[in-house]
Amino acid sequence: MDILYLLIPLSVVLVFFILAGLWWAIQRGQFEDIEAEGERILRND
Amino acid sequence: MTVAEEDRQAWQLLDEPQEWQVFSQTTPGKPECWSSSVVFEGMHCAACAITIEQALKAIPGVQEVQVSAASHRGRITWKESVTRPSQWMAAAAQAGYRALPANDAHAHERRRHEARQMVWRVSVAGMCMMQVMMYATPSYVTAPGEISPNLIGLLRWASWVLSLPVMVFSCKPFFVNAWRDLKQRQISMDLPVALGMLIAFVVSSLGTFDPEGLFGSEVYFDSLTMFVFFLLTGRWLELRMRDKTAGALEAVMNRLPDQVVRQVGDQWQRVSIRKLVVGDVIEVLPGQAFAGDGVLIAGHSEVDEALLTGESRPLTRGVGDAVIAGSHNLSGRVLVRITQVGAATRFAQIVNLMESASVTKPQVAVLADRWAKPFLWGVLIAASASAWYGWQQSPAHAVMVAVSVLVVTCPCALSLATPSAMLAAAGALARGGVLVRRLSALQRLTEVDTVIFDKTGTLTRDDFTVSSVHVRDGVSPQQAVFLASALARQSIHPVSRALVAYARQTMPAQDAALELQGFEEKSGQGLQARLQRDGQTMDLRLGSAAFCGAPALSSDQLQVSLADAHGWMATFELNEALREDAAAIVKSLQDKGLDVRILSGDGVAAVQRVARALHVESARGLCTPQDKLQQLQTLQKQGHRVAMVGDGLNDGPVLSGADVSFALGQAVPLAQAQADFVLLGGQLRDLLNAWQHSTLTMKIVRQNLVWALVYNLACIPLALLGMLPAWAAGLGMATSSLVVVLNALRLSTNAKQKNS
Repeated sequence: MDILYLLIPLSVVLVFFILAGLWWAIQRGQFEDIEAEGERILRND
Repeated sequence: MTVAEEDRQAWQLLDEPQEWQVFSQTTPGKPECWSSSVVFEGMHCAACAITIEQALKAIPGVQEVQVSAASHRGRITWKESVTRPSQWMAAAAQAGYRALPANDAHAHERRRHEARQMVWRVSVAGMCMMQVMMYATPSYVTAPGEISPNLIGLLRWASWVLSLPVMVFSCKPFFVNAWRDLKQRQISMDLPVALGMLIAFVVSSLGTFDPEGLFGSEVYFDSLTMFVFFLLTGRWLELRMRDKTAGALEAVMNRLPDQVVRQVGDQWQRVSIRKLVVGDVIEVLPGQAFAGDGVLIAGHSEVDEALLTGESRPLTRGVGDAVIAGSHNLSGRVLVRITQVGAATRFAQIVNLMESASVTKPQVAVLADRWAKPFLWGVLIAASASAWYGWQQSPAHAVMVAVSVLVVTCPCALSLATPSAMLAAAGALARGGVLVRRLSALQRLTEVDTVIFDKTGTLTRDDFTVSSVHVRDGVSPQQAVFLASALARQSIHPVSRALVAYARQTMPAQDAALELQGFEEKSGQGLQARLQRDGQTMDLRLGSAAFCGAPALSSDQLQVSLADAHGWMATFELNEALREDAAAIVKSLQDKGLDVRILSGDGVAAVQRVARALHVESARGLCTPQDKLQQLQTLQKQGHRVAMVGDGLNDGPVLSGADVSFALGQAVPLAQAQADFVLLGGQLRDLLNAWQHSTLTMKIVRQNLVWALVYNLACIPLALLGMLPAWAAGLGMATSSLVVVLNALRLSTNAKQKNS
């Protein structure tokens, strides 16, 4: 079970990576208008 | 402090009169007094509103401050000669809240930033919570001693590392607000919550790094992160709902374009809307909004006034027709000569009314605010008492009980119960063309048992119908109507239009055009012309009895006479036309068990006729405004709650004397309308709509209050007894606020369905 001593710290690091990805997505406004992207295909312009 | 310096410079810009006029309006009757609408940043609860009000009222020259906790908007009345916007904005900033001019596009940007920040906080809390729960699982599912102490230590350390961003970043708003309130010697709902978080984190950290210490080796990182996540999710959804409700207001406010294309000589020039002055000619393309009130001088189009009058069909507008600011041009390119700009437009008046309505506090909400502070003190005392009581057995457990008490008792739901419902209702009604000027009127409307209508312009329209025709011997009524309509066709006077309409109705076959010569319209008297018919020539006159040499008829109705070269031929009696929906509306009000009455300044016979047509028993004519007010007060003394429906202009004192008042606001300068409700489209059926909606609103307010009270009363004993873990407390609090807001939101969807 010694591998846990490596995996647990690794999982902490992984969470920080995921958070970095989320930050990028949120700051680009991807969660602000969820319907608009789906409706875009129906628009003319 | 470059940021503060930048702010100060931005505020000083607002001290220029043309700048503050963008978000301020003069107060009628008080020269030098301006009332400005602003958006406050950093508000969280009812206590914040009180803090801001107190801070601003301390500034000399600030006369009145109203802040709405639900919409985060405020209205500040200040004196030009004593103070300037920069001074009270600085005062608000000192109290810890940024004030932004409400009409600023900036406010919208801020709001978006706030929303993004919120999503980010929730995401951090959510991610970390999931992982922390994973680390906590082993200690729940294994027997003591099954895992090596080293591994347990590592799991706790990992939980601590991931709880740190939650504490430092996600919980920041709670701590910032609590700290600000402490500095102000105020107490707000964030204080108990922040205290709970801090205690839980400190106890768990001690358990991680000093397992032999006072609080033992127990850690609560999973509870902590979980309730932070629930709480933030609740706040975030609340924020989204608030934006959605405020969206009804904002949709109206953001309708004006920033720039317009103006004609300068032969050239077209793009200018800022603030530079537009009365008399300018602007070009408006399909899809654009009109920047000011004006008259079409070229082109032909359809316009959409739905947001301003509730009229959902597109309206046709040609040369000479009026258009209003904020309505949309739908089909053709048009040129508009501007007749009103800025604060004088109907649009600006509507926005102003809506804003002032959204900050008035209904009675129930004032009551909730007053009780919030002592209640919060009670919470703090109860929490410390429970911690002290359990300390002997297990300090760690006692402290966690205190945390649950702190979190679960937050009266957020209670303070949201009334304003959220009333704002949602006002937003929905506004979309349907009914402006609510005072939110508390929604509450009073449900208590009304008597409705008094004014007649002219309220039950009747402004135009006429022909009721009877009197003729001289040898002339048939058909002939008289035919000749009269031939003349009337040339005129746009309301009486002429009534004659033409009557002719079309009674003999649609004879709608042939006749040849007229020497047509002349003598204002105040009538029309005259020479008519060629069947080889005959007739000199005709149509107009007042004196103009036509007609015998006086003993009738109090409006009359118009017809004469030829031989003298009087015929007299037409005219009636005021009832509104199409008047009878139906009166009947449905009576079906509700309401006592419907008519009070009018018109002649008794005219009033009686309308009353008979509408089956109203109690009707009085020849009333001066004083008479009306007296009647109203007599009714009120008898214990009746009275609603008054008028045109909002000459009934001013009567409307303000009634318990609830409606103004039919099609022709009324809105700023002068004294009514609680303004029916923008001038449709009586909106009255019923408002009635139904207010009943529904009060039902939902009651549900909300009951729910919030039951929740708090049920959870406090559970938490005090230690039967409610901290995460469940967080979940309970977030859910209770959410239930209240969601329930209130039903009001906005309801009206939408009804209108579409």
